[in-house]
Amino acid sequence: MAPEHSGALPRVVITGIGPVTPIGTGVAAFGASLREGRSGVAPIRSFDASDLKVRIAAEVSDFAPERYMSAKAAKRMARFSQFAVAASHLALADAGLDRAGLDPDRVGVVVNTGGGGVNTILEEQELAARRGVGRASALFVPTMAPNMAACQVSIELGLRGPVIASVAACASSVTAFIDGAHLIQRGEAELVLAGGAEASISPLGVSALANMHALSRRNDEPARASRPFDKDRDGFVIGEGAAVCVLETLAAARARDARIYAEVLGGGRCADAYHISAPDPEGEGAARAMARALQAAQRPPTAVDYVCAHGTGTVLNDAAETNAIKQVFGEHAYRLAVSSPKSLTGHLMGAAGAVSVTATALALERQFLPPTINLDTPDPDCDLDYVACRSREAAVRVAFANGFGFGGQNAVVALARVDG
Amino acid sequence: MSSASDQLIAIVAEQLRLPAERITLESSLIDDLGADSLDVVDLSIAIEEEFSSDEHPIEITEEIAAEMRTVEDILTYLEDQGVV
Repeated sequence: MAPEHSGALPRVVITGIGPVTPIGTGVAAFGASLREGRSGVAPIRSFDASDLKVRIAAEVSDFAPERYMSAKAAKRMARFSQFAVAASHLALADAGLDRAGLDPDRVGVVVNTGGGGVNTILEEQELAARRGVGRASALFVPTMAPNMAACQVSIELGLRGPVIASVAACASSVTAFIDGAHLIQRGEAELVLAGGAEASISPLGVSALANMHALSRRNDEPARASRPFDKDRDGFVIGEGAAVCVLETLAAARARDARIYAEVLGGGRCADAYHISAPDPEGEGAARAMARALQAAQRPPTAVDYVCAHGTGTVLNDAAETNAIKQVFGEHAYRLAVSSPKSLTGHLMGAAGAVSVTATALALERQFLPPTINLDTPDPDCDLDYVACRSREAAVRVAFANGFGFGGQNAVVALARVDG
Repeated sequence: MSSASDQLIAIVAEQLRLPAERITLESSLIDDLGADSLDVVDLSIAIEEEFSSDEHPIEITEEIAAEMRTVEDILTYLEDQGVV
């Protein structure tokens, strides 16, 4: 049995998973793609990208909001909020929970984002240029505001506990799990829907990220473009989607005989205080966040079997993150496994951490390591075991999910397998 | 029903995401069709866009919108403006 936290804080576990991602919606589809190493990257379909430097993305092209909400509710939501609502319904159902069986006042929501409704802002600005700002939609503000994914989850599902929506760029939704666990441990909520949502693929966004040299330009080979830790990586692939998980106490989960994917042991957060977009080249901040996560988890470095890396596929991130893992784990860095689901899903930015947590929870429950696809040519600066190309069976007891954001925000959450 | 009322009902249906069959001229926007104040603003904008022309612009002010309780009220306003 796992040791109890000091101070007898309640242990928090993940009992439901709701992925809405470019490689599948729902646990079955997402889990299968993760195991089989299926890429979700394709030529951009949501707009004409033919004039852009980057013409590929990982879109959720089969998303049908009306399956999860009324047409009227969908009209009042930006796409990132629609993703969040869908993911929340999926997570609750996966947990075997019915809204009718919950005490709504004791259920909290922590759904974070990177760009929020930035696409709504761009679309409304275009409309305003055509028909004048006097005809601004009355729905504009409550649609684009970044807290709306979390609030729409609350409204649509009738959840009335604390609702938190914070932003930390690409670390946003790792942060959601740390805050979500805290809400439960401090008694502010009995159950929390935690995750992230992102839908900010637009001509302006893609073009701006391309001009930062953040994006892969492998336009002719979309499925091979996202190649974290590979020597020939040339940037990340922008993605969209959401993932939400159900958090509750271990005691509550056991009392209702729920399937338990993983325990949230604790998290580590810190900042680089270095640059608006580049990570500290040595991965110093990333290392400190991982060290803090170990401390919070009260585990020695050798206990960690798997690191679900931030692993974006940018030249800088992957080398810095590799270096950070070596700083924290020493020789053990060469024994643990590291992989990046972004090789499959693209980079969901504000939702990326939640996808990583979801993938890690599945790895712990199903005892396998998700692959880093497209890792064809090893990079001397990235010399760990990245589960190249194919997933594999493995004993996974304790795992990290990493998220590092533009601006230097770092967040790491430690998860563990829970034995029956 | 006139084509103007069909056109209007189609706009109301689109704005409120309702099937057109559910909407009649007698329908109250708020009580029958579930609109709130935000919907009424966006509906007014959509109607201005649809029925305005360079020669004959219409503007549904907040005061006018406040008086529009049913679909028929809107139609009457458009008729009074001479745009349908």
